[in-house]
Amino acid sequence: MDERELIARVRAGDGAAERALYDAHVDRVYRLAYRLAGDDELARELTQDTFVRAFERLASFRGESKLSTWLHAVATSVVLNGLRKAKRFRQRETDLDEATGISGGPPPAEPDLKRRLAQAIDRLPKGYRIVFVMHDVEGYTHEEIGAALGIETGTSKAQLSRARGKLREALADFAGEWVS
Amino acid sequence: MTGDRFERLLRDAAQDYHRPPETPREEMWRRIVGARARRRQHMLVQRRWLHWGLGITAVLALGIGIGRWTARGPQGTETTAGRVPNEPGNLAYRVAAAQYLSRTEALLTGFRTEARPSAPDAQFAAQARDLLTTTRLMLDSPAARDGRLKALLEDLELVLAQIAQLPAGGDKEDVQLITQGLDERSVLLRLRTAIPAGPGPVRMQGAL
Repeated sequence: MDERELIARVRAGDGAAERALYDAHVDRVYRLAYRLAGDDELARELTQDTFVRAFERLASFRGESKLSTWLHAVATSVVLNGLRKAKRFRQRETDLDEATGISGGPPPAEPDLKRRLAQAIDRLPKGYRIVFVMHDVEGYTHEEIGAALGIETGTSKAQLSRARGKLREALADFAGEWVS
Repeated sequence: MTGDRFERLLRDAAQDYHRPPETPREEMWRRIVGARARRRQHMLVQRRWLHWGLGITAVLALGIGIGRWTARGPQGTETTAGRVPNEPGNLAYRVAAAQYLSRTEALLTGFRTEARPSAPDAQFAAQARDLLTTTRLMLDSPAARDGRLKALLEDLELVLAQIAQLPAGGDKEDVQLITQGLDERSVLLRLRTAIPAGPGPVRMQGAL
């Protein structure tokens, strides 16, 4: 079944076609949601919201781009909005933890490279982090990132370059070990 | 270390950043199907209420217009106040008003029995908002000349406004206040008394 036929059948309310569309794209959507959220339950919710919204809005899909491009634009929008809400919620929880003095213990004394890298990625400005995760971790092209985030391809490239630069700075002490 | 080598190491290490588990396809699909079914149901209910609300509002507006026109004599003098003139021109108004009272009673009965203090259904708030417009029209209609009915309509307006403003997450105290107000002012009892008895659209008993 080609993409156009699949879309037509989904629009006509064909349940099997809906499932086929879901099966074709769910892995990539879930992986991106998980990579950006870092939380399984939140990633599941964001993936579900993406498909609920996509099925509702498929009637407005005009076919000017590939279905996967359109779907990932929907996914990115849902994920970023979801993360904003989750961040506000977590901030309230953190405030409460600090107020009641039950925050976690001291950080590990000797974090390894992956832990340090994860921390450095988390500290990147939001735009840099999203582009870095999409490109270097999940393998999206700059064209796909541009379409999903509504930015120019050049902007995506520039943000990736700045993200890498910041990570390089954050991990400068490790660079010495790798050289030796 | 060359830049290229660092980039490769960075990219390899980054693969472990929030590494996703296997996609829980079936569980998410079940939830998607459930969520879509709930949304469809919600939209159907909203659409049904919207159609009803628009219809009643239109008929009431027409009825009020006819009522005001027929309430004036040839010299522009008011007829006897307090009763809706029992003329064929008021039929539409009577039907709409009877339906309004029945719908309001159904909503308040449902709210009283079904609204859980921790999570009142958002559907009640949506229905209350629809009925508020009609309540305002009723208060401007000949029905408001009847003192008892006017007092009832004013109580209904207050209760409906309270339900319409209930937050989505629900508030236990708000729900308790509303049901307490319903009981203290015997709103449901007065409402049931005001609803015309008997089958069919033209009920001539009750307050109307």
